[in-house]
Amino acid sequence: MFMYYVRLAALSYRRNPILSSLMVLAVAVGVGAYMVVFTLNYVLGGDPIPHKSDQLYHIQFDYGDPDVADFEPPPQLAYRDAITMLEQSSDFRRAATSKFVAILEPPGNDLRPFFVNGRGSSADFFAMFDVPFQYGNGWDRAADDGQRQVVVLSQELNERLFGGADSVGETINMDGHVFTVIGVLDYWEPTPKFYDVNNGPIDTGEEAYIPWSLIAGQQLRRSGNTNCWAAPENSSFEAFLNAECAWVQFWVELPDSQSFDRYQTMVDNYVAEQRDFGRMQFPVEKRLYDVNEWMVYNEVQPDETRILSALAAMLLAVCLLNTVGLLLSKFLGKSGEIGVRQALGAGKGSLFIQHTIEAGFIGALGGVLGLGVAAIGLEGIKILLGPEAPTQWITINVTVIATTILLAIASTIIAGLYPIWRACNINPAIHLKTQ
Amino acid sequence: MLKMTGINKVFRTDTVQTHALRDFSLHVEEGEFVTITGPSGCGKTTFLNLAGLLETYTSGQYLLDGEDVSSLSDAQRARLRNQKIGFIFQSFNLMPDLNLFDNVDVPLRYRGVSAKIRKERIEQALAAVGLANRQRHLPSQLSGGQQQRVAIARALVGEPRFLLADEPTGNLDSNTAEGVMELLEQINQQGTTIIMVTHDPSLAARSQRNVHILDGQIKSDDRNSKARAA
Amino acid sequence: MELGPITRALLRNKLGVILIALQIAFTMTVIVNAVYIINDRAANMARPSGLDEANTFHISSIGYGNSFNESVVVDEDLNMIRQLPGVIDATVTNAIPVSGSGSSSGYGLEPGRRDTLVPAAIYRVDEHVLEAMDLDLVAGVPFTAQQIVRRTPTEERQVTETILSQAMAESLYPDDWRQALNQNIYGPDGSALRVVGIVDRLQAPWPTFTYVENSMLTPEITLDNSTTYLVRTEPGYRDELMVEVEERLATAPHQRILRNNQSLEYTRTESYRIDSLMTTILKVVIGTLMFITAMGIVGLAVFSINRRRKQIGTRRALGATRFSILRYFMTENLIISAAGVTLGAIMTVGFNMFLVQTFNMPRIDWFYAPIGMLALLLLGQLAVIGPARSAAAITPALATRSV
Ligand SMILES: Nc1ncnc2c1ncn2[C@@H]1O[C@H](COP(=O)(O)OP(=O)(O)OP(=O)(O)O)[C@@H](O)[C@H]1O
Ligand SMILES: [Mg+2]
Repeated sequence: MFMYYVRLAALSYRRNPILSSLMVLAVAVGVGAYMVVFTLNYVLGGDPIPHKSDQLYHIQFDYGDPDVADFEPPPQLAYRDAITMLEQSSDFRRAATSKFVAILEPPGNDLRPFFVNGRGSSADFFAMFDVPFQYGNGWDRAADDGQRQVVVLSQELNERLFGGADSVGETINMDGHVFTVIGVLDYWEPTPKFYDVNNGPIDTGEEAYIPWSLIAGQQLRRSGNTNCWAAPENSSFEAFLNAECAWVQFWVELPDSQSFDRYQTMVDNYVAEQRDFGRMQFPVEKRLYDVNEWMVYNEVQPDETRILSALAAMLLAVCLLNTVGLLLSKFLGKSGEIGVRQALGAGKGSLFIQHTIEAGFIGALGGVLGLGVAAIGLEGIKILLGPEAPTQWITINVTVIATTILLAIASTIIAGLYPIWRACNINPAIHLKTQ
Repeated sequence: MLKMTGINKVFRTDTVQTHALRDFSLHVEEGEFVTITGPSGCGKTTFLNLAGLLETYTSGQYLLDGEDVSSLSDAQRARLRNQKIGFIFQSFNLMPDLNLFDNVDVPLRYRGVSAKIRKERIEQALAAVGLANRQRHLPSQLSGGQQQRVAIARALVGEPRFLLADEPTGNLDSNTAEGVMELLEQINQQGTTIIMVTHDPSLAARSQRNVHILDGQIKSDDRNSKARAA
Repeated sequence: MELGPITRALLRNKLGVILIALQIAFTMTVIVNAVYIINDRAANMARPSGLDEANTFHISSIGYGNSFNESVVVDEDLNMIRQLPGVIDATVTNAIPVSGSGSSSGYGLEPGRRDTLVPAAIYRVDEHVLEAMDLDLVAGVPFTAQQIVRRTPTEERQVTETILSQAMAESLYPDDWRQALNQNIYGPDGSALRVVGIVDRLQAPWPTFTYVENSMLTPEITLDNSTTYLVRTEPGYRDELMVEVEERLATAPHQRILRNNQSLEYTRTESYRIDSLMTTILKVVIGTLMFITAMGIVGLAVFSINRRRKQIGTRRALGATRFSILRYFMTENLIISAAGVTLGAIMTVGFNMFLVQTFNMPRIDWFYAPIGMLALLLLGQLAVIGPARSAAAITPALATRSV
């Protein structure tokens, strides 16, 4: 019986090919556009590390400038606080991290020196963020404390320097310092770059990772967003480290509510203590943010995608209204056929099924075409994003495919409910009378 | 009033040519009541369509009120239809979305009559067919006979001098048909020329003149002196 | 006109009318707000930076190794660049306008008053900056070669002069920006700078910065091994000079790498990438929506005309001209569209209020809604004209056919 109805649906499509194609097109465009925005939101607003996003916390301290109205506390840590937090959190996995830049002189004479974007981080960084390794490993806390000159390369940099071979044990020269390679990452490009939302949440990952203590040790040049609310005493680096300048990201992994409570108390006590010294005078709403809270708090999701979401929803609404109108026309145009079917014994139930399948048929076609629309849309966005932005996160995955088709079928059937109801309730008598 | 000489009407489709009327000549005087009879497919409706300027003919000459209509533009033909000719159709052709008042209003709208006069005339016309109190009803709320009376009101409201009816009683039972026929005769007595196509021999027998068509040509043209109207 | 009967006939088919009207209302809401966002962004993108953008490029040099002496290299590089035919002038700078990265600080009129500091972008440049950036000095004098201070990052700052953008001067002296000339202004650490000049316009590097027009020039070269040269050329020379400058810098015997050799136009494109992406997406949305809505109107009109073929034939038989049939359907569409755009105007303003509240966007100008209403009425009329013409072509003889 199902196949019979599908055949009827196909026949009905052929009887009104233009009207039916219009509906398919409307559904495709509406659903396709919605899926483009859905994909962007799914990635940008989604949970980048679902299995432990509620265990990783970033600290927000009560920073502020008493003289400046509307001062928003910078979402990073000052060096001195980061150091204290590292010490006080040693029971947990924790990482202070910030960016650096360096000139890398490749081993051998084949390659000219080039510029690298790097990240200094504490040893736990790799374990905390599930960073995948292709070769070797990260370093341990002893390397942090000993400011050991070790480096973990990104897959891409290893490709460039060593042709993708296992380079553990090789050495590279950055800004005149020799570093030993102890690990090479597998492909790792989280989008958004949730572990550092302060330096562009949609940004390519760093190419080299070194112990963060080396940055404070001034082995390499610090980079990344820096926000000072009191001028350093003088121009020396020591003065900068001691100043009220926030530039360090600090993450801690708190596996259960017990450790969370303990940590919360520790942080609160620290703030109370610092307040007595005249620091941290500006109470914040919250001091520990988990990954998802942190991304919301830092407005990682661009305004643009949120505006587009609203617009896409309205576009879908227009397309569905269109479909309701066209379906209604189509079904009422078949009054004669429906009347005859009723006369031949079709009950309301079977008419209902017949027309629901007909609407679903159109929805399914629209969904398949909508996938094409979504693919074209995403491809267009990739092109428009230009060569500098990472775009490999913009892909159609199984979730998107399934959602598109289901959304298309479901919305067409919902759009079709009223037309279907009208079709089932056509009074053949009235119809015959006017003819 | 109506003068057709040597009219031919050929319908061409991809494969066939149909001679619906051939060398057809007919003269109808002002004030006549002419019935047209003939077997199905002989060209009655085609003749009526030509007479009513709904369609153009292939060759021949047609003078309406002495005016050659072949050279008229579509808009001029529309104006003539609107002012001189009234139509009554077998299947009534009322607008299902419009109430009776608005239905009867349609030809007046195309004439640009003032609202006040329109209202008067519509009420008069509906009263004349006995439906004065149902102005706000929709066609679907009426019986077939009532619907045809509305159609007659619509045909009359513009006070045409020439009324064309294509089987106006074809969808009605004999009693109702009798009522409609009486109405038409009454209208004819007031001076309106009527040409009516019918399949009903008894109705044909009542008219002053009966034209019988066969295969697109006039077979006989009888003037009936015993007709009631005479 | 026959507004009365048309409206009454429409009211008999309320749902059809509501569907099209709602569709028009949503379409109008999206289109008007999208156009408004596009215009808002376009206005942002159209703000001039103050530079001769078409003929300017920049390139960074980063030295390494112990033998690299930046102070010497900078002089050598600049001399070389300035002597190339086609170069108007060149300067060193710590930041490139519209690039999105740079440094900022606050300056005020009284030392120690941190609450009155006005934020501004700081460009550390040499005495060639006015020519190289094509800035118009509207008051005061340019920097002199003697004023340029060279220092390593850890040395104390010693600059004592500054040139302000006029907007910055206006922020400090709202009544008369000229008063800023020759005054001392004070930074967050209390250090003083004397205003020696004011230029008409120079944007900060961050397009979204609230104080985007507030900029300051200071005569200093920071010796941190990393130098950015900003070069202005005669029209038509830029592209070849970009190649030539990079080649010459590369062949000079210094241990360094060269990065970001970009025209300022490219830098602008990159900075406004998201805005132009948004603009393009919105244009596609507008086009699609107009198409879908127009197709919807056509579809429903064709359908309703097909359903009413006999009716139309009858009207023709009763004396309707082709034109009056055309007018009937145009009028019918006009009535529906009018309902749609009226609702659309309300929804447009509502959605705009949502945008204003949620995204801090400026309010929509009053004329957007009426123009949008007219545009959609026009769209409706254009969409229905085809079906209406085919309706007008229906033969009156149809009235006498029984099917
Ligand atoms: N539009 C058309 N195209 C082609 N042939 C047509 C067309 N209209 C009528 N005819 C043909 O012209 C001939 C006359 O048709 P017409 O409608 O005038 O018959 P009629 O006398 O009114 O018949 P009936 O009594 O059944 O209504 C028929 O053979 C018919 O098939
Ligand atoms: Mg006939």
